[in-house]
Amino acid sequence: MKAKKIAALVLTAVMTLSLVACGGSSSGSSDSSSSSSDSSTSTSSSGGTTFTFGCDYFSEYIDPSVNVNSAWSLIRFGVGETLFAFDIDAIAQENICDGATTDDYITWTLHIRDGITFSNGKELTASAVVASWEMMYKKEAAGSTSTPSQYLANPTFTADDASGTITVVCEDVTTNLKGILAYPYFAVIDVDSYEEGVVDSVVGTGQYVLDSYVEATSKTFVKNDSYWNGEVPYDGYTAIYMTDSTTKAMAIQSGDVDVVENVTTASDLETLKNDSAYTVESTAGGRLANTYFNFNGQLANDTLRQAIQYAIDDETMCNVTVGGIYTAGCSVLPSSMDYGYDQLTDPYEYDLDAAVALLDDASIVDTDGDGVREIDGENINLKYYSFESRQLQTFAEAVSTVLNSIGIGVDYQVLDYDTILGLQTSGDFDMVSSNAVIVPTGNPDAFLGNFYSGNSDGYGYYSNAEYDAAYEEMITSTDEARKAELYVEMQQILIDDAATIVHGYYNSSITYNNSVIQGVEMYPLDYTWITTDWAPVG
Amino acid sequence: MQKLKEFVKKNPSFTVFALLALAIVLIAVFAPFIATHDPYEAVLADAVQAPSAEHWFGTDKMGRDLFSRVIYGARTSLSAALILVAIIVVVGTMLGIIAGYFGGIVDAVIMRISDMMISFPGMVLAIAVAGILGANIRNAIIAISIVSWTKYARLSRSLVLKIRNRDYIAAAQLTGSKTGYILTKHMLPNVLPTILITGATDIGSMMLEIAGLSFLGFGAQSPTAEWGLMLNEGRAYMTAAPWLMIFPGLAIFITVVVFNLLGDSLRDVLDPRS
Repeated sequence: MKAKKIAALVLTAVMTLSLVACGGSSSGSSDSSSSSSDSSTSTSSSGGTTFTFGCDYFSEYIDPSVNVNSAWSLIRFGVGETLFAFDIDAIAQENICDGATTDDYITWTLHIRDGITFSNGKELTASAVVASWEMMYKKEAAGSTSTPSQYLANPTFTADDASGTITVVCEDVTTNLKGILAYPYFAVIDVDSYEEGVVDSVVGTGQYVLDSYVEATSKTFVKNDSYWNGEVPYDGYTAIYMTDSTTKAMAIQSGDVDVVENVTTASDLETLKNDSAYTVESTAGGRLANTYFNFNGQLANDTLRQAIQYAIDDETMCNVTVGGIYTAGCSVLPSSMDYGYDQLTDPYEYDLDAAVALLDDASIVDTDGDGVREIDGENINLKYYSFESRQLQTFAEAVSTVLNSIGIGVDYQVLDYDTILGLQTSGDFDMVSSNAVIVPTGNPDAFLGNFYSGNSDGYGYYSNAEYDAAYEEMITSTDEARKAELYVEMQQILIDDAATIVHGYYNSSITYNNSVIQGVEMYPLDYTWITTDWAPVG
Repeated sequence: MQKLKEFVKKNPSFTVFALLALAIVLIAVFAPFIATHDPYEAVLADAVQAPSAEHWFGTDKMGRDLFSRVIYGARTSLSAALILVAIIVVVGTMLGIIAGYFGGIVDAVIMRISDMMISFPGMVLAIAVAGILGANIRNAIIAISIVSWTKYARLSRSLVLKIRNRDYIAAAQLTGSKTGYILTKHMLPNVLPTILITGATDIGSMMLEIAGLSFLGFGAQSPTAEWGLMLNEGRAYMTAAPWLMIFPGLAIFITVVVFNLLGDSLRDVLDPRS
């Protein structure tokens, strides 16, 4: 009996200790500021102001060398800056560089703005910028998925601290160096204080500094007191990760956050738009939702692709199915940008009957009565992969539903993004969803390369000699008028070839509480979220 | 007929719940005659419409008729739950009887495997298994089976151990009865009533587990008409179009309640002592 009592006591003690131990935090933070719950701007312990920001969890890091998402996070959270930055019209403007000259578009001279320091007080010199960029290229060579050479291949950088200039020698004619250097891979960080894998060792020149973080939960930032470009209106802010769109909408409605980015559920977005307490800033950005075809499978059949284009009602899918968060269009380059969209013609506007007739006329019919049409005696069975991002999975579901209804067999699956990348690389797909910024450096040259036969392996092996010739001319041309013609020509070739399903152009949005914060704008190239324009009301 | 009347009079609650369960089964069987539309026919322009005379339960995000999908969902959800319960009852009971009867190393191996299974939280392990196998309803059934058979194994083993050393078992062994005969003629009948009651009460909870996996994306995949998946699809419209969650939710609620109460009343029928 006594033994039982002792055993019971020991068990109770162990359980109690376990509960206490489980209650500890695995946070990497030393402090986390509290958020407002009454929809009013918070006052920090120092008496200043803070705000809370609900956003997707793209990466734990704010390190440009880890991967593309962490590079973007560095800029988005206002910690790092690039030499040039895209303005609200998606034009690269001088930022921490205040002069750029070139005679031949191969050798560029950039002047670093005087008087800028990193947030740790260290002076920003030309050498510091070059050291940051060279680290990026070294890490890429060592296997990092951050790939600056994707946009600027084999450059040489020479720093002259006395004159504050950097000389960049490009491998080829590079007319768009400003746009390229505005891409987050080229954000400048202090390499002397940087430690690989240490989240808060990244020091930039931006308006905020990472103060503390709780892994996969939140990050707290404080103001950079030595910021070069004006006074930072807030003492700091807390970014709270929330991946679910409805959660974001509910969080701003309850006052848990003051700003949220990209509420993508149509009904929630509509509710917020109709509520005068909130402002939804949105812009037809440079993001394209499309589906790549694999030309090494059944989709090599021109008639099948053309029928698919006829069968898809993009207007309804954009306006009803995903509730207007996309603008419908027929070309890979957005209608809102100046790439000649109005000069294009779409021969495959929605017409379901035409799709069926086209298939029937080409003898792509269901001969065995199983409801699925056959090509060369084999059932059409298209493997369609999608992932959950900005309603891509909803587009894919709608497309597969429509295609199945006219006898085009589609096996649609939602997988995680990394798995899809693997399948895409190995060519093991028939259709795959994509959502990409198509003007990542201010022009669509790199994106249009996805359809160039030399690059198209990972995008479905599309090949068209006419397109290739136009692309090769476009990529080296310094004549803007000719480039503009080539953009139109290449878009029309892709449309005529039914080369990809264009779902629409994503309308990025950011929603804020009017009574708390002002100056919030949505930039078309959404590397930029938080700026010094974000300020408390009143 | 007289006997039936007496049975009904004696077991009114069992009769009511059995009839309700039968009604649910009949809805599943005769779904094509009850549904007003093709549950997979999408009219994209008619997405997320409120309940109306044309669409009694409204339409979902693909413009499919929700009433028809809820009716067809009975087929998927009910058959998946029944198959799942059948698998875990048969496998668990068989392994439990073998472990209890043979004892020794056989018992140790089966029970340690069982211990391993129950040392993980069931749903978490099921999610892991479904994640590895791939998301579909068949793999969801396999995943939940892997973590749920242990209950029946332990139950049947304990029931077998109660009679394992009885004289009539020894007599059967002495008279040369084959092991298979002893297991099926002596062991199984003794464990069956308890196992059946447990199985009947598990139908509801298994249905919830399958719906849970589908809700989380590890079970049925779109465009399958399955209640858990329908709940997940409706989640994004929870405030603007609550009917997308209410009707599949009600279907799950009613079915689970009916089968749970059927299990309880079956216990009253088979175990009059309580």
